[in-house]
Amino acid sequence: MATVTLEGLTKRFAEAAAVHDLHLEIGDGEFVSLLGPSGCGKTTTLRLIAGFLQPEEGEIRVNQQVVSSRSVLVPPERRNMSMIFQSYAVWPHMTVFQNVAYGLKFKKLPGDDPGTRVEKLLRLVHLDALKDRYPAELSGGQQQRVALARALVVQPQILLLDEPLSNLDANLREEMRFEIRRLHEEFRITTIYVTHDQAEAMVTSDRIAVMHLGKVIQVGTPQEIFERPKTTFVAEFIGRTNILSGKWREGGKVDLGEGILVQVSARERYAQGESVSFCLRPHNVALSGSEAEAEQRRRSGYNLFPGVIQRRIYFGDAFDYMVELPAHRMALRVVAPPSQRYETGQKVFALAHPDHCVIVGES
Amino acid sequence: MLLPLGWIFVASLQTEAGWSASGYAQVFTEKAYLKAIWNTLIISFWVGGIAVVIGSLLAWLVTRTDLPLKRTIRALVMASFVTPPFLGAFAWTLLAGPNAGLLNKIYRSLTGSEEALFNIFSMEGLIFVMALYSFPYVFSMIANVCELISSDLEDAANILGANKLRVALTVTLPLAAPALLGGFILAFLHSLSLFGAPAILGLPASLHTITTQIWALFQYPPRLDLAAAFSVPLLLATMLLIALQKKILGRRGYSTVGGKGGERRLLRLGIFRIPALLLVLGIIALSVFLPYWILLKAALAKAWAQPLTWDNFTLENFSFAFFQYGDTQDAILNTFKLGIATASAGTVIAALIAYITNRQLFWGARYLTFFALAPLVVPGIVLAVGLFLAYARPPIVLYGTIWILFVAYLTKEMPIGFSQAETTFKSIHPELEDASRILGANRLGALRDVTAPLARTGLIATWCFIFIGVIRELSASILLFTPKSKVVSVVIFDLKEEGQIGVIAVLGILLLLVSFMVILAVQRLVKREVLATRE
Repeated sequence: MATVTLEGLTKRFAEAAAVHDLHLEIGDGEFVSLLGPSGCGKTTTLRLIAGFLQPEEGEIRVNQQVVSSRSVLVPPERRNMSMIFQSYAVWPHMTVFQNVAYGLKFKKLPGDDPGTRVEKLLRLVHLDALKDRYPAELSGGQQQRVALARALVVQPQILLLDEPLSNLDANLREEMRFEIRRLHEEFRITTIYVTHDQAEAMVTSDRIAVMHLGKVIQVGTPQEIFERPKTTFVAEFIGRTNILSGKWREGGKVDLGEGILVQVSARERYAQGESVSFCLRPHNVALSGSEAEAEQRRRSGYNLFPGVIQRRIYFGDAFDYMVELPAHRMALRVVAPPSQRYETGQKVFALAHPDHCVIVGES
Repeated sequence: MLLPLGWIFVASLQTEAGWSASGYAQVFTEKAYLKAIWNTLIISFWVGGIAVVIGSLLAWLVTRTDLPLKRTIRALVMASFVTPPFLGAFAWTLLAGPNAGLLNKIYRSLTGSEEALFNIFSMEGLIFVMALYSFPYVFSMIANVCELISSDLEDAANILGANKLRVALTVTLPLAAPALLGGFILAFLHSLSLFGAPAILGLPASLHTITTQIWALFQYPPRLDLAAAFSVPLLLATMLLIALQKKILGRRGYSTVGGKGGERRLLRLGIFRIPALLLVLGIIALSVFLPYWILLKAALAKAWAQPLTWDNFTLENFSFAFFQYGDTQDAILNTFKLGIATASAGTVIAALIAYITNRQLFWGARYLTFFALAPLVVPGIVLAVGLFLAYARPPIVLYGTIWILFVAYLTKEMPIGFSQAETTFKSIHPELEDASRILGANRLGALRDVTAPLARTGLIATWCFIFIGVIRELSASILLFTPKSKVVSVVIFDLKEEGQIGVIAVLGILLLLVSFMVILAVQRLVKREVLATRE
């Protein structure tokens, strides 16, 4: 078991994504996702941790021992890590069994003999019946499980996953998310998971580190990241959201203009009149057609936005409305249950709790 | 590589009296020399044009229509690709020589005319034969592009209201245009650097090209300064054309043609199906069937021009070629020794360079690519001039041994070997090696357990390509051989002077057979690999 510390990590590249002064602390047995759009440096970070790349500045420590720095580079084979690659990297010239058994050639583990150990793991990932097949005879999902078994059989201290599900089709991807989480709960290996899919990160991770342009912007539990995004970038990358801008007013309010004053939740105070933005998730907005009801909720502390339904989209399990606000021709996206049906052009009142109006910084 | 080319420039400026540009002056003023340059340009231009027409027509028919027997046709085009042009040219002297040429004899007996129908020893004859063996280059290039242009692209224009002809003119043709132009340049370059065919067909008609002129300048009394001066424009022209080709193909090259998926529908030829097939088979008859048949006949007959009856049948030529004629024995031995040595050394070097550049093992690794591909711009005969100048004098004297041929072949085949090896390593995902590293193997272990087994087939193919390239090489060998270091292609060329037609045919068939066997072996190997790793 192991902790991983990344401190001031920097790697510059001519072509690939770079990493600038990156800090991250990963606890023993923790599952942390590096989440970000392509080109944000997440795969570079992972390859730095694996020892395939050497940092130009900063260092990587495993259990407080430096494994990578400007002057130190423990080679990948002596890091006691395993990795699952985007391409699976299952060797086409070896059978499933040989693939999984490969790592045990280099690592003597106490207890079971290698053969039994491989069999056990193949059973765990439901591949025991296919052990003599070649990878070309397996489906994508099965190859993925070979890669998983191969990485786990050596009982690594740290498991690294590089977008392992991006080549699978949607159904299988969803299934494998839970599979990966289940295996983590079984083995409790310190895991670092790289992905650009926020749903994947949400399902699998204890904590998520959102990356942008080679830096970690925010680290937190999936809930923290989703409900309290620090910047517009994080808010927009994780799920759909409304970003509204206005001027800061005394008492934690934002003035959107046209007399709309919104009570928001903020971590810090701003100067009177300063430009600020807040995010409001579409499903955290309620709609009401009755002015009396809306007024009553307003008095109990809700923010009230009078507006007009501009367009409606039916999603089966929900309606997706675009509500036009008078202020600066701003529009608010609202997700409402299918029972709440409003027509285009109808006047409505949108209601949002201050806790859900979260001030975000410029990305 | 750099040393020989350097020597060419030095020698081209040197005369017995000292430094001067008189070599160049002579090359560019004397009428005979200018004529040779002019001939070369005319010939290459026509060869390029004809090769593009034939090559693209065949490629289009094979890839985009419902022409029957496609696989067979592809194999036959491959056969003309493998046939050394000097062998084809030789076969055509037997077919269409003005006096004894078989086709002319048939023509005369049919019409009673005294005139010959064809005279292969002419500019037209030379262009015709060279085009026959240049079109496969265009074919493979255009076939690639045609397979990449998806019907979707054409449908898109169709649905916007363009009719079939407009689609062909505004979408298909522009998409194929860079490749057509690229194919023209490739065929042009190929004929620019050919030596065998022009020597066999042009010299009897006192028709010189740059390559035969260089060769002539090497004969007694040698005028090395002039040969070198002659090499420089050829070299520059090749460089220029390759740069031009790169530019044309690079800018709007195949990659944009690509696009994923997109099925390709085949055009129904309808009533033209059979005429089209006959046309294709006719072209292939000219490049493969007729020449091979006449070679076989010449090899088995006492008198090649007579019908092949039991009386006329003999194995004499074979026993003579293999057992009695000392020169051929040595040459065969030398050819295969050189083939195996060059292919082995070449594969190792090509694989090393390809691996290093592919994995970017150290800074500046990609500049190695440049060195591996650079010989592409040097025509064989120019390379030979350079090597002769560099290694016929101390400190390193290789001339007179087969080592100079080894160096020449290795240099000449390096671009092909490198491209092949590079494709091989590109197809092996670096993560396969990384996976082995992270599980505990060191760099060498990963190479042994993962990369080596996966690269094996590709590297065997590389070996075979180099081997085939070496055993058919003539244009560099012709300047570098000595009586002690003859190779089969040179012996064929020499025997031509002596009129030993049966023996030439035997040696030609030997070269072809070995080449085909090697290709077949590679194909089976690759097919097995494809089956084993298909997704």
